[in-house]
Amino acid sequence: MLHIDIPSRKEVIEKAKSEGKKIAAIYPIHYPRELFRSFNIQPIEVWGPPKTDTKKANAHLQSYICSVVQSGLAFYLEKQLDIADIIAVPHSCDSLQGLGSIFKDFINPKHELITIYLPREKNKENVEFLSNELKRIYKQLSEFCGFSPSSEKLMEEIKKEEEIDEIVDKLYRIRENLPLSSRGFYAILRSREYLSPDEFKSKLEYILLHASKGRLKKTGVVFSGLLPEPMEIFDIIDEMDCFVAMDDMACCMRRVYGKGNSDDPFERMAERIVNGPPDPTKGNSFNERFGFLKSLIEISGAKGIVFYNVKFCEPEYFYHPILKEKLSKAGIKSLIIETDINEPISQQTITRIKAFTEMLRENEQ
Amino acid sequence: MEKVKSIGIDAGSTTLKIVGVEEEGKILFSVIEDADPKIEEQTDKLLGELRNNYDIENSKIVATGYGSNLIKADKKVTEITCHAKGIYEYFKTGGTAVDIGGQDNKVILISKNGKVVDFIMNDKCASGTGRFLENTSWRLKISTEKMAELAISSDNEVKISSTCAVFAESEVISQLSRGQKLEHVIKGLHRAMVKRITSMVYAIGFNPPLMLSGGVAKNKAVAQMLEEELGEKPLIPENPQIMGAFGAALIGLSE
Repeated sequence: MLHIDIPSRKEVIEKAKSEGKKIAAIYPIHYPRELFRSFNIQPIEVWGPPKTDTKKANAHLQSYICSVVQSGLAFYLEKQLDIADIIAVPHSCDSLQGLGSIFKDFINPKHELITIYLPREKNKENVEFLSNELKRIYKQLSEFCGFSPSSEKLMEEIKKEEEIDEIVDKLYRIRENLPLSSRGFYAILRSREYLSPDEFKSKLEYILLHASKGRLKKTGVVFSGLLPEPMEIFDIIDEMDCFVAMDDMACCMRRVYGKGNSDDPFERMAERIVNGPPDPTKGNSFNERFGFLKSLIEISGAKGIVFYNVKFCEPEYFYHPILKEKLSKAGIKSLIIETDINEPISQQTITRIKAFTEMLRENEQ
Repeated sequence: MEKVKSIGIDAGSTTLKIVGVEEEGKILFSVIEDADPKIEEQTDKLLGELRNNYDIENSKIVATGYGSNLIKADKKVTEITCHAKGIYEYFKTGGTAVDIGGQDNKVILISKNGKVVDFIMNDKCASGTGRFLENTSWRLKISTEKMAELAISSDNEVKISSTCAVFAESEVISQLSRGQKLEHVIKGLHRAMVKRITSMVYAIGFNPPLMLSGGVAKNKAVAQMLEEELGEKPLIPENPQIMGAFGAALIGLSE
């Protein structure tokens, strides 16, 4: 198996600071990395982090708020984001919208606080709305940073991201030719949450160089949900002689955007996000989500789907009953696992994953 | 000495089950003991005792259950696959298998050719498991067998609102202190448990026949109430508790 060294978030932050960059701590899910980068700001995403002690955050939040938001707030309250200059909260769901309000109304952080209002459906009006929203954020960042990057600089950063998205898409399509464990593959994909585009791209190119013609003789599964935490969940799948052949995760595939068409940088960034893959937080139709999942199965040759839902994640749970029914009618087996990113993987979860993979392999024969 | 082709070991949360089969899959022996936390030592001791009567030197060993990681075995398979295999081979039919164990329940849909089509397990909650009845049994100092008899003989039942294994225990005490008859309360307790299992069966989609495995399948009140709730008389093996270990042993035959 291929081994690739990945620097930690801390190392990347220290390097960025030493290069005079500002740091933006960005909460999930959708935002234009390129907009921040054009201001010489390093976006560092805050997906929890997992295994955080959330007691301080719990005082601010209702008990039915998911562990990603609980941990995200706790991480801030424990002063772990003090190194950041900016905090950005996209309004991805009610809980994250609430987090933005808590920051604004109760915590008043010393950081520059940016909220990102994301439209839901795929249409022209929403591209226009998001384009205007990004212009508002551009103005806020210009005032904060004391300069305004040119349209050329914005386009340069957009094209870098488009190129990376294209390579990531290619890697997904040849996943079974890559000498990487599920955990290894996703550790690299998820390093995009904080690496610079050049460093991330160099790692992708290194993987491409090592793609083989031989295929992994393992049973593939599609992994769906917000994020794969704890990452040990992948080890359990691999132990069963299976692998994650494709994903429908908010932190990964759902943010592999296509190229934009517009020559206007704001419109182009908006097009990329609005026209991106279906996502529960974007309110796509059941048919769009089902069609997307089905296409992931077809492209990857995977035999089933694991819905790995963070407890209390309302958008994910809203879709599940109908998706399960549609998948079942299409002969696609699925499993739902409920997780909390701050808890270790339970024995029941291990048993379910193993039984699911046994079922897929038995039905393959 | 009879030659044992394959041995299945089901190291469950409450009991350890061992089944040995000959090459045609016929059961040669079965052993059930309360599970010891030192499961590896317990298994070695039992296998040592079996060596006195059976030739197990070249037997394949397949382990299943929560303690299976501690057992030296040729293969480890989940309880879902093992129960499905055991119950399918026992009844020679597909359908809906319900395994009610000490701390978890599994509902497994089995196809006509014996493959697992879908399954559901309880998660993070012991409601509807053997422990649900055992908690009250310990508290009332009445055996679970006696509780089942009381439930069957009762002509009335008190509704137990809680499906939580811990809160149900206190609700039973509360109902008794209000003067409700013991047998009515016990019947209500069984009903609450069975309704929890029934909801799992409907969640996955009930496909008759209904087949029971696991220690709680021996509880006649549970079997009777499942029939009332699902409208289908359950098929119950002679020894439902060993179905997981039996399935594991059968899997060993094909290794």
